[in-house]
Amino acid sequence: MMAALVQVEGLSKKFGTVRALDDVTFEVTAGEWIAIMGPSGSGKTTLINILGGLDRPTDGRVVVDGTDVANLNERELTRYRAEKIGLVFQQFHLVPYLSAVENVMLAQYFHSVADEKEAARALVRVGLGDRLDHLPSQLSGGEQQRVAVARALINQPKLILADEPTGNLDEANEHTVLDLLQDLHATGHTILVVTHSAAIGRMADRRIELAHGRLTQIVANVS
Amino acid sequence: MFWRILWRLLWASRSRLVLALVAVTAGAAVCAALVNLDLDAGEKLTREFRSLGANVIVSPAQSAGTGSTMDSAVMNRIESLRAPEIIAAAPYLYVIAQAGPRSSEKDAPAPSSVIVAGTWFDQAASINSWWSITGRRITERDDPAECMVGQEAARSLGLMPGSQLTLSSGSREATLKVAGVVTSGGSEDSQVFVGLATAQNLAGLDGRVGLVQLSVRGSTPVIENVIGRVSGALPELQVQPVRQLAAADGRLLERIRGLLFATVALILVLTALGVLAAMAGLALERRRDVGMMKALGGTVRRVMRFFLAEAAVIGILGGIVGWAVGMLLADVVGEQVFATSISPRFIVLPVTIGLMIAVALAGALPLRLLGRVRPAEILRGE
Repeated sequence: MMAALVQVEGLSKKFGTVRALDDVTFEVTAGEWIAIMGPSGSGKTTLINILGGLDRPTDGRVVVDGTDVANLNERELTRYRAEKIGLVFQQFHLVPYLSAVENVMLAQYFHSVADEKEAARALVRVGLGDRLDHLPSQLSGGEQQRVAVARALINQPKLILADEPTGNLDEANEHTVLDLLQDLHATGHTILVVTHSAAIGRMADRRIELAHGRLTQIVANVS
Repeated sequence: MFWRILWRLLWASRSRLVLALVAVTAGAAVCAALVNLDLDAGEKLTREFRSLGANVIVSPAQSAGTGSTMDSAVMNRIESLRAPEIIAAAPYLYVIAQAGPRSSEKDAPAPSSVIVAGTWFDQAASINSWWSITGRRITERDDPAECMVGQEAARSLGLMPGSQLTLSSGSREATLKVAGVVTSGGSEDSQVFVGLATAQNLAGLDGRVGLVQLSVRGSTPVIENVIGRVSGALPELQVQPVRQLAAADGRLLERIRGLLFATVALILVLTALGVLAAMAGLALERRRDVGMMKALGGTVRRVMRFFLAEAAVIGILGGIVGWAVGMLLADVVGEQVFATSISPRFIVLPVTIGLMIAVALAGALPLRLLGRVRPAEILRGE
């Protein structure tokens, strides 16, 4: 049996008196595609944020690729995000005054050294070879999300975290992004996707379902 | 990549940054002009002060008794010092004389006593350039045919420019034409000014002077240094500063310099506030970008370096342009206030740039608060 890339044990997160996550425990094996599902306010985004080192748990243990995320200080968390995590957001969150290739290079710059040729290759891989110098405002939603995917992949992260990556896209662009995620999965990337979409849930290896911050069930899809 | 992102930041926010740049340039221009003026102020202001009268007096030693005089060779000895700080040196010989019509005229009004001051007109004019003259100022050093009369003396003697005046002392007599009437507001108003040789003839003291007035340019230490050198060259004489005037010069100079520095400080604060206003809006706009950069693994130091470099660029650009404008401004102020051109001091350039970088960084304080942005909150849309 393969060792778990992600181990979450007894994870809780409170915002004041609100318990966003309550005693959540699960594991993810390297190369798995996991869909995190549940109604709004169920704690999906909080879970992704903690896994991505953007937020800290109130209680419990989160280990990603051997790193106990809960015990990292601010500086170590920053390094963890740069080296181990690739983030894709529903709102794309590209830097508006940087071109597509510069947005990808920015992730390289914070990781180590910016390499324009490598960044350009990443964009070619997501089908944006002819959009390198376009600003986000000159790209469609689907194209912006593909830039975000290229940016998430550029540092070869151990874990790709996507929060509603198709939530802001039309059907055609949704398919393009899902095809990309499937390709990444096929090439061995470990992906956790927060989604409301039952279709995406069915494409994943497993579904982790949350309600009111609690893990209600883990469903393995039969391919 | 750093410079590329920095350029993009500057370009993307150009409308807001132009406001900050204008504030910095305007502040830099005034600061550069004032700092440049301050560097020249000692020289320019003391030159202005020197038009207010003598500030050092050379006289016979007190032990020589009142009414004693000096050999007029003292003038050559002072000149031989070749002290550039001594702007002018005017010998004076005072004589009490009778002023009135020629003694040969009959039925003339009784003559009255006046103080006659014999001097070198050119030097006296240089020392007392602030005198108001009705008529003409005598510029020839030892004019034997003309005199100038203080306004009180002119009134009591019924004189005006062009009048004839006869001065007599004992059997000695001199008849002179009044060239101009002097108004000084001081004791000079009741004196009659004649050439030194004329006064010496009237007094029967050929080759003698009563005192020498010096106008010495410079700060208090410079003046004291010159006094020491003159004293050394003229050990038998008494060399003294006109304390009140010298001290007033120094105080006024200090106050003017204090005013310049206070103005510079005020302008720096106002400039920083101008930058602050422009940057506060920018900080709000950039919260999301900073949150994103931190989410991508950018350390606070690395992310903030972009924004602080941006402020520094504004400081450098504003400092350079402001310096150039400031030099023109200093020249205009120099012409208007000191009636001389102010030469640009290149040391002011790095000082201005340094000040403007500091001011821009201080004004960029709101951007520094971006370091506290928590990426999760920003990405959640809070």
